[in-house]
Parts: sequence; structure tokens; C-alpha cells
Amino acid sequence: MFLTILILGLVLGGTYALLALGLTLQYGIARIMNLAYGEVTLAAAFVLVALFKAIGLPPLLGTLLIVPAGYGAGWLLYTVMMRPLVARSGASGRLEVDSILATFGLLFLIQGLLLVAFGANFTSISYLDRGVNILGVSVALNRLIAFGVCVVAGGALTLALARTRWGMVMRAVALSPGSAPLVGIDVMRVARQGFALGTALAACAGASIAMVQTFSATDGVVYTMKALIIVIMGGVGNVPGALIAGFALGLVETFVVTTIDPGLTLAATFAIFLCVLLWRPQGLFGRG
Amino acid sequence: MLEVRDLTIAYGRHVALEGVSLSVARGEMVAILGANGAGKSSLLSAIAGRVAPRTGAIGYDGQSLLGLPQHGLVDRGIALVPEGRGIFPGLTVAENLALGANPMRARAGAAATREEVLTLFPRLAERRRQIAGTMSGGEQQMVAIGRALMSKPDLLLLDEPSLGLAPIVVQEVFAALVRIRDTGLTIMIVEQNARATLALADRAYLLEAGRIIGTGRADALRNDPAVVRAFLGGLSGNAPAQA
Repeated sequence: MFLTILILGLVLGGTYALLALGLTLQYGIARIMNLAYGEVTLAAAFVLVALFKAIGLPPLLGTLLIVPAGYGAGWLLYTVMMRPLVARSGASGRLEVDSILATFGLLFLIQGLLLVAFGANFTSISYLDRGVNILGVSVALNRLIAFGVCVVAGGALTLALARTRWGMVMRAVALSPGSAPLVGIDVMRVARQGFALGTALAACAGASIAMVQTFSATDGVVYTMKALIIVIMGGVGNVPGALIAGFALGLVETFVVTTIDPGLTLAATFAIFLCVLLWRPQGLFGRG
Repeated sequence: MLEVRDLTIAYGRHVALEGVSLSVARGEMVAILGANGAGKSSLLSAIAGRVAPRTGAIGYDGQSLLGLPQHGLVDRGIALVPEGRGIFPGLTVAENLALGANPMRARAGAAATREEVLTLFPRLAERRRQIAGTMSGGEQQMVAIGRALMSKPDLLLLDEPSLGLAPIVVQEVFAALVRIRDTGLTIMIVEQNARATLALADRAYLLEAGRIIGTGRADALRNDPAVVRAFLGGLSGNAPAQA
């Protein structure tokens, strides 16, 4: 029982961690709180399903296509929609409020497009839906693959942020955007990269969600909320914090589903969120 | 090397700098002296691309710097150590220095430059792994100057490097500036601590209420009675006493 919760919880948490990582990158580096984040995730999920159903493209291969496409979409979105907001806000704190309002609008735009393109019905695919025995616990192979995708993508990014020159530049902009130009960093360019990368992670999380879950075009807000809760729990802009909080949320949800009632998952999520906001508003691990 | 002509800077209706012209030759150390609010920092900010002047021209090696973004100027060889230092307080000393070598012009020789900087500031070598924000004010100033040197600048702009430092630390910072000057680097320094700065610089401009009211060789200015009265009135400049 305990082992079941642990393994299934970690597998679910992997997706959550990746989901939160993208949001925290967008906020930490580009200073944009993206309320349309869940819709972007869903768009990627729908594209994966459509490619699978229409031309039989294997989901793993689809993921390899969707992630760079997500990067491109994020890059374009930043250039067309966010850059005017950034230019207008200058050094003041207006960008956060403006970006919340703008992406709130974007949320409904993407949701409308998804409804038109894919309808309002629940969608899912059956992909490698057979059980694999792990330490005596039966886990669906598709969940393991989704978990693997999340661990590889999240791990590679975390390592790159910590160890490479590129990562150091990203962290410098996240921590002290005002000082970054002093060492020749083009903050706008780095912010666009951060936003695009966050979109790519949302797409990656969406692709792995499509492999295992049933979803509909109006579910985006749930993913945004969960990612937001994880980001706040882990400490805004704190990458390791987001990863740990993501796994923690996966474990808690799985615990509630298996021992109490599946209908209470969202309630449990919000209960944790409330506790964090009341007692540790800076997040469990502090601001990154 | 640097030519500033008729520079006027205004924030809204407040005019910070009015019709300022000055020049800096290669290898020179030039000081800008003036009281608080005289427009010293505005002048440096405009040269470093942080503030857009209302009118005037800034030429560097015969080319105009106006309109260039701040981050682009670092690659042209202009490094600024701003007031308040502008280091990355959440990163380690080593990371701060490594970021200093981020501009393309500095990447190839970064390892050699780091050795030079660590020889100049042995304290930074001992504290490599320390988070820069946890260091003392003087040490943070060394990080800021060291980071600027990491970009292999041709022109180093220093904005009040002694501000907020204890007198003994100020001495240490100025001793380092002497060694940097002696490498032949062109330096423009803005300071309130006039006495110590005039002992260091080749030439100086005196700034008051946004205008240049005097200029000359540093040794001449130090003995000019009017300058002594207006700028060197205190016992040892006017370095604040707190650490």
C-alpha cells in the first residue's frame, strides 16, 4: 500500500514537477505570470493526440516534435504579445500586473481555439496501456514513459541551469535583472529565451499528460492552478523547490486518491496551498 | 578616446546635467568631483548607456555611443562599476567574476584575466565560493571592480567606489585603484572623496549643480585655494564614517 502510493505518486509528481518548472522559468526569468499556461499545455496534449490519431505518429516521437514547436510558439508569443508590455513597463513593476491581465485574455483565446478545433468532449488515447511490475507495484507503461520524459527534460534543464554559462546567465537575469546589462547581457533576449523555454516545458508536460490522462479543452485552468500552487509552494523562481514541491503534490494526490476519495484530489491540493499561504507564504524553500 | 559634448540630462523637469563637455584620453585617469546631487552619477550613467541624454553627443574612438543599448557598450570595451555596486548578490564570487567575462571580447582570455584580478584582489581568491551578498561592503566593491575588469575593458567607469565604506576599507580600495591605473587602463572616476581622488587621478573636472565649473591637472587643483575651500574643506574629504 505504502509502496504503491510512493511509486504512483512519484510518477504523477514527475509531470507536475515539469509543469511547474516551465511556469517558474517564465515568471523567474521573463517576469511574466502566465495564466494561459495550462491552455498551452493542453494545446500540446491535443496536438499529440491529433497526430497519433490522424497519422499514427508514436507519442514519444510526437513529443520530440512538440517540444521544439512549443519553444518556437513561446518565442513568437513573447515577441508579438509580451515585448510591447515589457517595453512599456520599463523598470517599474507594471509588467507583472499587465502580464496577468494579458495572459488572462490569452487563456480564453486559446481555449476558444481548442474548442473549435477539437470540440468539448473528453479526449484520450490508449498507448502502451499495459502494466509493468516495479517492486511489486503494477504501473502502466505509458505512465513510466511519461515519467521518464519528465525526468530527462527536467533533469537536463536543472543541470544546465546549475552548471553551464548559459544557465549562469539565466540565473543572473532571474536574480538581478538590473545588474545583468553591466556584464553585457541583453535582458530582453534572455527573457524571451526563458519564456520560450517555459513554453517548451509546458508543451513537454502536455505531451506526457496526453499519453496517460483523459482531458478536455476546458481543463487548462486546472493545470495552471496546479503549476501555480507548486511554484508558490516551492518558492517563486526556485527551480529545485518547484521540482520537490511537484513530487510532493503528486504523492499527496495519490495518497488522497487511494486512501480517501478520488473526488477530493483538488480539495487536498487547495488545502495544502492554503496552509502554505497561511504559514509560509515565501514557499517551503524560500525564493530562488 | 572619450568625447562628451554639450550633454544635457533631465528627468522630467529636473535638469541633472546641463551642457557638459569633457574628454578623456587613452591611458588617462580622469576624476569628476562634486557634491551630492551635482550630476556626477547622471554623467556616468549616460556614458554607460543607462540614461538617454536629452541633447548632446558622446563619442568613443570616433564613433557615437548614443542610442546603443547598455549591454552593447560592454562589448565595445566600456565597463561600469555603478553606485551601489550592481553585483549579483545571490551568486558566488566565482560566478560574479565568470559573468564579468560574459561579453564576447572577454571570453577567450577569461582564465588569464581571472588570474590577474585575483592577484589584484587576493581576498577574492580566498572567498571564491562565498555568496557575494554575504560579504562586507568593501569586499563587495572588490567583486564589483573585479567583475568589471573581467570584461577586459578599454575604459573603466567607477561611480563612487568609496561610498558607504569605512575609512580603512576606502584606503584599501584606492590602493587597488592605483594598481589598476598603473596597468595603463583608462579610468573615469566619480567621487565625493575629493582629496583621495585627486591624489590618484591625472586630471579632474569640478561639477556643481549640473555644470562644469572648473578643470585642470589634479596636482594643480589640489593646491588651488578656491578648490581647497569648496571641495577639500573637510579633514580628509567627506567619506562617510560608517562601514
